[in-house]
Amino acid sequence: MRITGKLAGNFVLATALFAFHSKAVADEPKPKPENIISVHLTEPVAPQKFERVPKFWITDISDRSGNPQPMLVLKSRGGIFLDRQPTVIVRETLEESLKSGNLLAADSNSADLVIRLYLFHFGLAEGSGLDFFGKVEYSAIVKNPKTGETAEVKATGTFIAKGAARKKNVQKNVQEDLEESLKDATRNFLRGQQLKEAVALLWKGGDAAQSPDAKP
Amino acid sequence: MRIRNALVMVLLLGLAGGTAAKETTAVFKTAEAKHFTGAEGVELTPAFYDYFYAELRSELTKSKLVREVIGEGEAVDDADAEKSVVITGTVTEYKKGSAVKSALIGFGAGLRSLKMDADVIRRSDQQNLSIFHVHVKVDPRWNEKTMAKFAAQQIAKDMKKEFAEKK
Repeated sequence: MRITGKLAGNFVLATALFAFHSKAVADEPKPKPENIISVHLTEPVAPQKFERVPKFWITDISDRSGNPQPMLVLKSRGGIFLDRQPTVIVRETLEESLKSGNLLAADSNSADLVIRLYLFHFGLAEGSGLDFFGKVEYSAIVKNPKTGETAEVKATGTFIAKGAARKKNVQKNVQEDLEESLKDATRNFLRGQQLKEAVALLWKGGDAAQSPDAKP
Repeated sequence: MRIRNALVMVLLLGLAGGTAAKETTAVFKTAEAKHFTGAEGVELTPAFYDYFYAELRSELTKSKLVREVIGEGEAVDDADAEKSVVITGTVTEYKKGSAVKSALIGFGAGLRSLKMDADVIRRSDQQNLSIFHVHVKVDPRWNEKTMAKFAAQQIAKDMKKEFAEKK
């Protein structure tokens, strides 16, 4: 009798846990065509002018945000998802911008400087609650493949977009927020003093810098 | 009739002139807002400084005092350096406040308070153009980011007052 009572108790507990879990799973937002946003810059960011123009190549981008769901931008209001991984979005944006300034190499072998990027944050950060605070933060290791020398360049982009009540407007504002943050971060990277110094340190002008005696 | 029309025209032109005079024209070519730092003993999260940085840039853009608000560490052309400024600053004091005091006593007691100093420095010769002392008080139940918003608004407003008048 005592065993039956215990079993019944366990059964009730298990049922309650199962019901709670299924409710939690049901609340988890799922990507649907209507809650997916596409983040891309309308026009590329023009990079700064270098004294000696090197060609860059982006070798790899690693997500170091520690976010288990990098494509989920906003959990509330049915969720807002990105259409691509943040690493892909950042790579595309950087490549397009480098290309616009004629700084993108054709492949890794022909590149004067290669970039390895670590993405620390892509998405919304905690704001005042009245608006959307977008933040994109990454660090790049710029390397001269010939000498093996490296330099670190950090970039951050932020933007504050208006809050909204309607779901449609929330989605629109979040998209604008992310695009502006991404643009800001790209600008911060490509027009930054750090990149200028890294290029000056690592890139001496390639063949032009080599002494004529070295050639046969 | 003609005189009346002429008078109306003059009045309208005068009004238009007044409106145009109120609009702010850019005083600086670029402004670089840096992340503010906290003085010893100031217990604010790094997220606060991040948010304040973004809010200050947003407010500077809105103020139209600056043609372009650039990010931290961005390079500026030498030709533009003379008409460019860098904004740095320190949070000198932060008091969390007390919700109990605020509710029981009222009259400004227990409010959350923030004091900061902002320096506007000319980029070309590093000359300090102006120092702004900002003191913000908000309800202790409000998010600290709201305080950042008010502080950024205050700095932008003070800058507009100072530099638009000087111009």
